[in-house]
Amino acid sequence: MNKLTRAFIAVFVVAFLLMYAVSELNGSDRKTAGNTLTIYNWGDYIDPELIGQFEKETGVKVIYETFDSNEAMMTKIEQGGTAYDIAVPSEYAIDKMKKANQLLPLDHSKLPNLKYIDKRFMDLPFDPHNKYSIPYFWGTVGIIYNKDLMKGKEIKAWNDLWSPELRNNILLVDGAREVMGMGLNSLHYSLNDKNKEHLLEAKRKLDELTPNIKAIIGDEIRLLMENDEAAVGVVWSGTASEIMWEKDNLEYVVPEEGSNLWFDNMVIPKTAKNLKAAHQFINFMLDPKIAARNAEYVGYSTPNQKALEHMPKDVVNDKRFYPSPEQTEHLEVYENLGADMLAYYNELYLQFKMHKK
Amino acid sequence: MKKKSIWPKVYLAFIFIVLYAPIFYLMFYSFNSGGTMNNFEGFTLDWYKELFGDKRLLIIVLNTIIVALLSAAIATMIGVIGALSIVYMRKKTTKQALLSLNNVLIVSPDVIIGASFLILFTMAGIKLGFTSVLLSHIAFSIPIVVIMVLPKLEEMSMSLIDAARDLGASPWDVLSKVILPYISPGIFAGFFMALTYSLDDFAVTFFVTGNGFSTLSVEIYSLARRGISLNINALSTLLFLFTIILVAGYYFIMQRNSRAAEAGVRK
Repeated sequence: MNKLTRAFIAVFVVAFLLMYAVSELNGSDRKTAGNTLTIYNWGDYIDPELIGQFEKETGVKVIYETFDSNEAMMTKIEQGGTAYDIAVPSEYAIDKMKKANQLLPLDHSKLPNLKYIDKRFMDLPFDPHNKYSIPYFWGTVGIIYNKDLMKGKEIKAWNDLWSPELRNNILLVDGAREVMGMGLNSLHYSLNDKNKEHLLEAKRKLDELTPNIKAIIGDEIRLLMENDEAAVGVVWSGTASEIMWEKDNLEYVVPEEGSNLWFDNMVIPKTAKNLKAAHQFINFMLDPKIAARNAEYVGYSTPNQKALEHMPKDVVNDKRFYPSPEQTEHLEVYENLGADMLAYYNELYLQFKMHKK
Repeated sequence: MKKKSIWPKVYLAFIFIVLYAPIFYLMFYSFNSGGTMNNFEGFTLDWYKELFGDKRLLIIVLNTIIVALLSAAIATMIGVIGALSIVYMRKKTTKQALLSLNNVLIVSPDVIIGASFLILFTMAGIKLGFTSVLLSHIAFSIPIVVIMVLPKLEEMSMSLIDAARDLGASPWDVLSKVILPYISPGIFAGFFMALTYSLDDFAVTFFVTGNGFSTLSVEIYSLARRGISLNINALSTLLFLFTIILVAGYYFIMQRNSRAAEAGVRK
């Protein structure tokens, strides 16, 4: 009994000492108790120094939390229990959150820096007049390919993927909208097409691609491309820039037939408690110098036009990740297709995945 | 005497290599200056420096350990009381029913437990954060402790208790001087099981974290989209060494105790 008592007392003492250590580490923040801002963002999706700078400038204490998928984030916000003041969902999630009344409208008069956002990226179909959301980062879906393995051949369009030379050499990202969109785009249809004939045609076209497909996978694409396991991958531009960061002989193209334009956006969810600080933070992140620093840290494309002036020329002039307005013109944002149509997309995608070579 | 074959040893060595190789692979790359897990470019301690410079991550690590220690300790206390009452239950059917209910909690998927906790806490108005994580960890650890303690209790002979009572021990004496010392290996085993369950739990914790309170598994998981940096390797290395030290410490304490016990017998 004595031994047990001693052991348990030791455990509690250690635990309380650690708790003291945590409160010491948090120590400097106690002064601003009450004025806090809770941010819910993707993992490693902001320059941590910027949070410190924001705290210093405004005196607001930032609580920073991370999530790994839109669905997880929506569940936590739907349930409540945490006062998230800022969240960063992707564009299709915004549509869902809007329908579920999970978002609060933004007060544009408190966001003077909004004028710096490129007009191309304002007033998009998923959020007309930017009532609820401000773009945070954006990108495209495109093709990354290994110049060595392609032996000098270039890829410019979706239809190049159907070339017989690429047998068993293509990696696809595992997403119904992305893959079906690629099929539709290769036939010059819109990737929001609701015509079932067109969809079937796209599916049949995709079936013809199966001999060329090596795998349909998720994050593993990064590793496989870096290790020369496949010549071609269909990926998001964010993934592409990360792969190219590691390896030189790769090239990324946005196919000329058209492709998807995606956005991650700052929103204020209905759980917000500190609306003033939330607006302050969004405005802070829209500041051109801040946005430029953040874009350099994260490596994705910023929608902040003025920020481009503060960034290295070779990054900004890289047409692969900062395509010109003429290029983005034929890119489309995913629209909400409605539950039935989405189910049909998923159905066709599943059939395609099960199609025998 | 027949010479023992070498194959069992080879097999054993092979199994251990397979089990430990991923961990050592990860540890090895925590010293890589290249920044990825692909090619080893040179030795560096930068990732460890970065790790200790990251205040947020350190707080998360400490929080994870605090929750594990507290939840394991509290769950052990409740679990031991539970095991005692299950073992000394008179009616056989109730005993069986209680045991089955206990086992259901162990096998039911973490996701369901986590989601139900989230609903419960938000309905009860408990703010998500330290309290909610601690409470849920205690809750899912209790059945594990019960399972670890029960065999020890069942193997104990009832005559020990009868003898103690005969010699004039009060019920409290019986508990504290006979039963608890006898089952203490089970109690420690239960404590360590609860500790490891709490340290590596993702599914339940994910649902009940909030308001800036996070544990290591949730934090690492959220890095998946952007790729995991090598300072997580460094952190895993440190945690692995920490665990090794704990296990070694536990082993030596047990060794000393058993030697002391033997000496006592010889006297």
